[in-house]
Amino acid sequence: MRHPQLERVLAAVLQYGTWLATVVIAAGLAMTRTRIATAGIALLILLPVLRVALMLIVFVRQRDYRLGAVAALVLLLIGLGFTLGVVA
Amino acid sequence: MHTGFEWWLFAVAVGASAVGGALGMAGGIFVVPILTIFGHVDIRLAIGASLVSAIACSCGSAAAFLRGHLTNIRLAIVLEIATTLGAVSGVLLGGAIPARALFALFAVVLLLSAQQMLVRRGEPSGVATTADAGRWGTLLRLDADRVQRVPLGMTLMYGAGLISSLLGIGSGVLKIPAMDGALRLPIKVSSATSNFMIGVTCAASASAAFMRGTVVTAIAGPVALGSVVGALLGARLLVIASNGTLRVVFIVVLLALAAQMVAYACGILS
Repeated sequence: MRHPQLERVLAAVLQYGTWLATVVIAAGLAMTRTRIATAGIALLILLPVLRVALMLIVFVRQRDYRLGAVAALVLLLIGLGFTLGVVA
Repeated sequence: MHTGFEWWLFAVAVGASAVGGALGMAGGIFVVPILTIFGHVDIRLAIGASLVSAIACSCGSAAAFLRGHLTNIRLAIVLEIATTLGAVSGVLLGGAIPARALFALFAVVLLLSAQQMLVRRGEPSGVATTADAGRWGTLLRLDADRVQRVPLGMTLMYGAGLISSLLGIGSGVLKIPAMDGALRLPIKVSSATSNFMIGVTCAASASAAFMRGTVVTAIAGPVALGSVVGALLGARLLVIASNGTLRVVFIVVLLALAAQMVAYACGILS
């Protein structure tokens, strides 16, 4: 089973997202504004999370609940990693 | 942090990502050893920077693979359960593992990569060369004969996620045997799908590193930018340089870095 439309959306989000984050990081470093560069790095880390969230939405909309649950679990695990970074 | 050092970080990342990319490998495997050996960067900060650049490379190149219909996104999301679980385990373990053990683990991964470069990767036997929807459908419904190999694939992916999280690399070393050996996917599909998964796997550990403060902008910023530029150059390098020459350079560099990492692990260098 393939998802041509979802694949196109993901390709665009990942491509433009990477460019945006790269430009923000470069601008921050060039202007020696660390906070801006840090925001660019945060954006980069969030991109794959956004990708999984998009997949979750599309799978649920297509009533593909099994894959939807899989995507939700992956999101939870990323959230767990984040939480461990804060508390542990 | 002075500008000269930032340019050096940028240059290292460009080189690592270009050479790695030309051979279908992430540059992280070079970045961490070079930053620690020659830049005297703390290994945990080097790993934090490398995680961010792995995400940049994965997301940056994913578009081309997706548009070429090479990425199996259904399989990717299923396997990502295992890789992110591995990454979270790595986050839990990470703080407790001494730096010298990380150096030793890194040396092992470098040696395994060199060995994999020596043995050329062929199409796994018994693979369908064209996209076989029925076969994948079976795989994802997890029934019939596939059910025995998926757990093996998942186990290897868990290991890949764990190593990725501990060392800040994409860990193709473990993903390739998982994809080729256990799941028996065609090479291009396995490369594209593995690349797609790296972003999510590293996001789980990079977000923890970010919150822990081991993603330092002055280091991670230039490294991430260099990796993106290097990945673009790598595609061109692939066209110019002969695969044989690149392979030899790659193996020599991997072995040299492994020797240095062993020296750190044994306390000969510090």
